[in-house]
Amino acid sequence: MTDTAVLGRSQGMVREARHLLFTVSPGAAWIIVFLVLPSAYLMGVAFMTNGPYGLPQMPLSLDSFKQLAGFGFLGWSPGNLYTLLRSLWQTLVATGLVVIVAYPIAYYITTCRAKWRPIMLLLVVVPSWTNQVIRTFGWMNLLAPGTPLSSVAETLGLIAPNMGLYPSNFAVTLGLVYNFLPFMVLPLYAAFEKLDTAQVEAAQDLYATPVKAFWHAVFPQTLPGLLAGIVLVAIPAFGMYVIPELLGGGKALMLGNLVANQFSGGSNWPLGAAGAILMLLATFAGLYAMRRIGKRLGGGEEVVI
Amino acid sequence: MRKRTLKRGLTAFWWLTLVFLYLPLAVVVLFSFNAANSAASMTGLSLRWYHQLFANDQIMSAFGNTLVLALTSSLIALVIGCLIGYGMYRHRHRKLGWLIVLIYLPIVLPDIVFGISEMAFFVKIHELTGLLGPGLGTMIIAHVTFQIPFVALIVYSRFVGLDPSLFEAAKDLYASPLKRVVHFMLPTIKPALISAFFLSFTLSVDDFVISFFTSGPESATLPIYIWGAIKKGVSPEINAIATLMIAAVALAALASLVVNRRKA
Repeated sequence: MTDTAVLGRSQGMVREARHLLFTVSPGAAWIIVFLVLPSAYLMGVAFMTNGPYGLPQMPLSLDSFKQLAGFGFLGWSPGNLYTLLRSLWQTLVATGLVVIVAYPIAYYITTCRAKWRPIMLLLVVVPSWTNQVIRTFGWMNLLAPGTPLSSVAETLGLIAPNMGLYPSNFAVTLGLVYNFLPFMVLPLYAAFEKLDTAQVEAAQDLYATPVKAFWHAVFPQTLPGLLAGIVLVAIPAFGMYVIPELLGGGKALMLGNLVANQFSGGSNWPLGAAGAILMLLATFAGLYAMRRIGKRLGGGEEVVI
Repeated sequence: MRKRTLKRGLTAFWWLTLVFLYLPLAVVVLFSFNAANSAASMTGLSLRWYHQLFANDQIMSAFGNTLVLALTSSLIALVIGCLIGYGMYRHRHRKLGWLIVLIYLPIVLPDIVFGISEMAFFVKIHELTGLLGPGLGTMIIAHVTFQIPFVALIVYSRFVGLDPSLFEAAKDLYASPLKRVVHFMLPTIKPALISAFFLSFTLSVDDFVISFFTSGPESATLPIYIWGAIKKGVSPEINAIATLMIAAVALAALASLVVNRRKA
């Protein structure tokens, strides 16, 4: 190899590196400065002491985590623990219900004529394009005391007279299901569309019951879509702020509200930051678990993240 | 026989689900034309809430803020995201794992953590330097941060879908890199740029949580105004603003349908 060729190649590499730097660094720097640094700062705040105005102060301490676990000036109280458990429970129930509704819907769309399918998908997705606050406000209108739905529930004895279906834990669950349904239908639809029907027919030919045919021939094939859907539903549901705040009243708070309230009204930034760390841990644990399950069941690459 | 009942059951379930999905929106639209100041009963039709809407300075300024925020942030995110998307494509053979993590971070971070991180950070910077006081500026920064990944991923996937020999041909055709960008690159990825812009715009208008925590006293957007009005006790004007926003979404849905039809 001649000297000029070596020189040319290293010049090329320099040019390539400069190109990489030029294209990637503005965006990378933006995300680092305006998201990575702020998150790191927030995590730092969790280890500081709460000052007189709720703002973080030195010295470093673990007070905020103790407070998150319920230890306050007046001894231990279960309030925060209830909030945590409620967040987990609501996430679990809402995700389960979303799966139950989304499976038949996604399947039904694939059985319809090809020219209708994009329109049907659009119909499912369009409500989620409107602002979350507006959608939740719509449910407030529907579930408030004195509305037809509340009256029906009252007649059936499901709720106490004049209470209305909102505010309540039930309203929060309903709001979550409403909010996240499209995020489950889309990946499941994609999975159903690729479904190998020969396997289903084979199962039917072997006299499998519909349940067995579903379990052995359909379910494994739609699993990647299901896992992607769970990631898209459960993770944001766990950190939800708007829906419990509007539909839950004071008694159905979730972790997101606990965190947010520390930064607005009765403020305690370190406590809020500790809650945020918990939420991040849950997020990454959830992503990791889904990846592991996906890989073990052989659908790993198709899970979105 | 059994198959037919299954299909019928599914059809019924489909229509029920559609009712479930559209009922809350329909109620908002219906009550926006209510003559009475009530969220429980309709007494007659009127346009009074729409008249009040346009006479309300706060709502008009919130509308302006929403547009300025969505337009400015989408344009900035388009430029930055487009560059990063191209960089990811050109250098896709390198190990860019850290970049992928960085790009997915704004997508996977829970809204509320995103919002309060930025807020805490901006407050600290403001305290130290006097810069970045809460307002449209901080909101634009926050919105660009969550828009960049979507633009980058859309642009990247458009490049991946192209025939690599096109780039060689463009190299032969146009000597200068600038000409290649103007005459080849931008026209080829134009559809991706358009959809990335509209997605960014929609994400911005749709966002409430992140806007809420990074906004200042003068920079309320429509969702923030609606939130405040709901919290203060429902004012029927909310139905009217919400209806206009729903109408905008419906128009966007129709447009996307028409565009898809034309493509097919």
